[in-house]
Amino acid sequence: MKKLLASVALLSVALIAFQLVLMQILSIVQWYHFAYMVISVALLGFGASGTLITLAREWLLKREEYLLPLLMTLCGAAMAVAVRVSQSDAIRFDSYLLFVEGGQVRRLVLTYLTFFVPFFVGALALGLIFVRHVQRIGSVYFANLVGSGVGGLVALVLLWLFMPQQLPSIVALLPIAAALFIVPSKQRSPLVLMAAVAAALAFYFLSSPPQLNISDYKSIRRTLNLPDAKVVFERSSPHGLVQVVSSPALRYAPGLSLTFNQFVPSCPIVFNNGDWFGPLVAPTHGDEVLRSTTLALPYVMKLRERVLVLQARTGMFVAQALENGARHVTAVEAHSTVLSLMQHELAPETDSLLFHPAVNVRNMDPRTFLLTDTSSYDLIVLPTLDAFGGTSGLYATQEQYLLTKEAVREMWQKLSPDGVICITSWMDYPVRNPLRVLATLVETLSEAGVAKPAQHIAAIRSWGTITFVAKRTPLTKATSDSVKAFCERMAFDPALLPNLDPHERNRNNILQDESFFSLLDAIVSENRESVYAAYDFNIQPASDNRPYFSQFLLWRSVPKLRELFGQHAFPFLELGSLIIAMTLIQISALAVMLILFPLFRKEKMKQSKFSTFMYFGGLGLGYMFVEMVLIQRFILYLGHPMYATAAVIGAMLIFSGVGSLLSSRLAVTSSLLRKTVALVAMMIFAYGIIITPPEGVLRTLLHQSIALPAFVKAVLLCLLIAPLAFVMGMPFPLGLRNLSGRNDEGIPWAWGINGCLSVIAAPLATLVAVEAGFVAVMICAAVTYALAALSIR
Amino acid sequence: MFKTCVALLLVSLILVSDSRDREREEMVRTQIAERGIADIATLRAMRSVPRHLFVPPSWIDDAYDDRPLPIGYGQTISQPYIVAYMTELVKPRRGQRVLEIGTGSGYQAAVLAAIIDSVFTIEIITELATPAAERLKALGYKNVVVRNADGYYGWKEKAPFDAIVVTAAAEYIPPPLIAQLKDGGVMVIPVGTPFLVQTLMLVEKRGNKTTTRSLIPVRFVPLTRGK
Repeated sequence: MKKLLASVALLSVALIAFQLVLMQILSIVQWYHFAYMVISVALLGFGASGTLITLAREWLLKREEYLLPLLMTLCGAAMAVAVRVSQSDAIRFDSYLLFVEGGQVRRLVLTYLTFFVPFFVGALALGLIFVRHVQRIGSVYFANLVGSGVGGLVALVLLWLFMPQQLPSIVALLPIAAALFIVPSKQRSPLVLMAAVAAALAFYFLSSPPQLNISDYKSIRRTLNLPDAKVVFERSSPHGLVQVVSSPALRYAPGLSLTFNQFVPSCPIVFNNGDWFGPLVAPTHGDEVLRSTTLALPYVMKLRERVLVLQARTGMFVAQALENGARHVTAVEAHSTVLSLMQHELAPETDSLLFHPAVNVRNMDPRTFLLTDTSSYDLIVLPTLDAFGGTSGLYATQEQYLLTKEAVREMWQKLSPDGVICITSWMDYPVRNPLRVLATLVETLSEAGVAKPAQHIAAIRSWGTITFVAKRTPLTKATSDSVKAFCERMAFDPALLPNLDPHERNRNNILQDESFFSLLDAIVSENRESVYAAYDFNIQPASDNRPYFSQFLLWRSVPKLRELFGQHAFPFLELGSLIIAMTLIQISALAVMLILFPLFRKEKMKQSKFSTFMYFGGLGLGYMFVEMVLIQRFILYLGHPMYATAAVIGAMLIFSGVGSLLSSRLAVTSSLLRKTVALVAMMIFAYGIIITPPEGVLRTLLHQSIALPAFVKAVLLCLLIAPLAFVMGMPFPLGLRNLSGRNDEGIPWAWGINGCLSVIAAPLATLVAVEAGFVAVMICAAVTYALAALSIR
Repeated sequence: MFKTCVALLLVSLILVSDSRDREREEMVRTQIAERGIADIATLRAMRSVPRHLFVPPSWIDDAYDDRPLPIGYGQTISQPYIVAYMTELVKPRRGQRVLEIGTGSGYQAAVLAAIIDSVFTIEIITELATPAAERLKALGYKNVVVRNADGYYGWKEKAPFDAIVVTAAAEYIPPPLIAQLKDGGVMVIPVGTPFLVQTLMLVEKRGNKTTTRSLIPVRFVPLTRGK
């Protein structure tokens, strides 16, 4: 039994680690949206395996002794080849072409199926073990959950040590090793030989990893098309694949003034997972170029001695601050790999910018910094939002905690009496980003007790960018005059200033659509709620409960936008949201086809189908929903999404595993089952309403302890999660045991339906969070558990 | 037998060609003229340039659709309406000298060349520049010169230009391009992502003063009227 448990744990490590590796690879070749797709595909594999066990239970169990090592070996082999196959010309898809080229949807489905295979055969092995050892389900489930918890940590370590394209082959060795643990004495030679062949395949692909074909439409791919462009440096870590590209044609001058008549110098650009991350500029670059952009606004108003650069990236705003006479610049950046490169290998490219005596570098999440730091600043500057020409809404479902009302409130509290917050955005059309920036600033100021926010906000506009400044004290006439003079010199236009003549706003960079100005005026006035209600996009400020700053889509506006922009062009306004919605539809269809539909052919189970569906389906949805919200809530606490994901998933799985193990000592009755699931529902409700909301108990608790050492914080996180995870680990094994006594054939069906609903849960939870917030996701989770409790007969 | 095959081939080529002509005529009527493009020279040029020969073979049947199409390397051939709108904005006429930054497939250059005497076009991606030059030459556009270079520097030897069309816009407008624009000249820049141009920016140079004008394509205008 020990060997079997070790094998289960090892296979579970591999399945979770493979998921994280696929997420990273898809983030590199496409965009991060497909993280949800990977979770769903993995769960689809689990669900479909349950269906197969239902349909061929006897056949499989008769051959279980040989099948288990065989399936694990196949799982390893499939892991080794899956990425290579997905990158082949016949299957490779491009998210940008999904709404342009019909064949791309077929390619996406083929990609799902390619990734589905290793999860399916791995889960089939696990499922067979579950069915065979149902009376020891607690121990087996414990090994499964602990292995899964460790899998996340293993993936993190591997991501530090190897390049992403090597990782599938390395992870593939784990299921092969798991197979060797349980090879039966009979038929030993052929099974060991197969394992050896699979291992040889994995080693071959490790030495000759697949080439990752990055989308033609990703920044790095387009940059590498430039003459003499080359990757001069690259390094992998859990933060992403960092690549530095140099080319004589690469320059950085966002929205440069048309009066600038000097040479724009070239500079290397840093990319993270193929997305533009930042330019490598020396302080002198700021002197020549950045003073001729709207980014210079805060320095035009006043000398800024103490500057805080949040999400400092490659230090462009740090260079600008130094060039403008700042004496203390604090640069906060969570990406430790980029910081390390900037301080070592790339230091010469930036004249050792981060070693400047006036610069204090802090490697942590900016929100975590805001909660722990007690200093005050003359200027707090955020990274430039959006990109020239827009990003097609690709980042709509990405959480951006630095751009929520709560974050801006924390910044506001750190300003010196004359201090300002500065946010720059690219101009877009239909206008969205600048309006939401302004709404966020205005609402923050109003809630901070500022009676007339318009007196505190200035904005200037070039042909491409708009820079907003929110000042702690009202703007003076002298400041307004200096801003206007700067605009005249640079051929910019003031967009917001106290007592601004409307004719001064549209002189140098003329907007045909002047409604932009009336929208700005309405937002700074008391009328902003009516603007929110009437506008075709959601421009209300993001909050910690709905931290999706780049999500502007209102589903009610879809018909109108489709009509205006055309069926082919419309998706490129909000590609991110549409891709998630499309993934949800496709993956749900696959789940029904591969998991549920075949099971309806089993006549024997008809009677208990509905209650089993409600019970195990509710558990599948609810568990995933809770996990997702907890990850989000702990990002600020631990300072990085990757650490929060690993810690929360690890803690959830391990404590659920303990719950599962202890549940095996309980005698199963319907009453016990009902009470346990009801307890889970009530606890989720309590966590959702009292503990996890942005203003809940958790926030206070975390604020008090956020400065503690990482180890202590990890222990606190475990203490907070443990009670909920512990009880959430019980209903599934208890339910299976409850079925095993009276309806053995229902076990794989339960396994399948649990998998099917879990498949749908990942993209569905994202959509619910985007539309209604995390609290709503927790309430949905509580409701699904409550329905599960009610379904028990 | 051989003669029959050749005859059939010729007939089918003529039929296909007729069919493309009809598609192009339909494109100009419904996508361009009905949306407010009235410049006669522009409409004539849009009618004359065989757009289907500027798209990759797999997209030929979609060439006259009302949308941009991928041409590889993350680039697109613009939607017909946007090409026409940009052409109209530079007020093309005989005797002008126009610079294009971002040749792509060469379609915009061909449309300009159907009206203007001298079109100079620069493409930074070699894999696009070479076939575009060959395509334009094969189609008989003798007044287009293609250069494979970084558009940042413009084309100093051929400056000044009456108009500059920047089809592959960057996040800054290169100062040399402003310098190479004639007094009274205009520059047109489409702003948007590869498959959705949302606005067009018109840069106008008058003496020492350069202003920009952000123009919304006619088809999007109802969005702003609604507010």
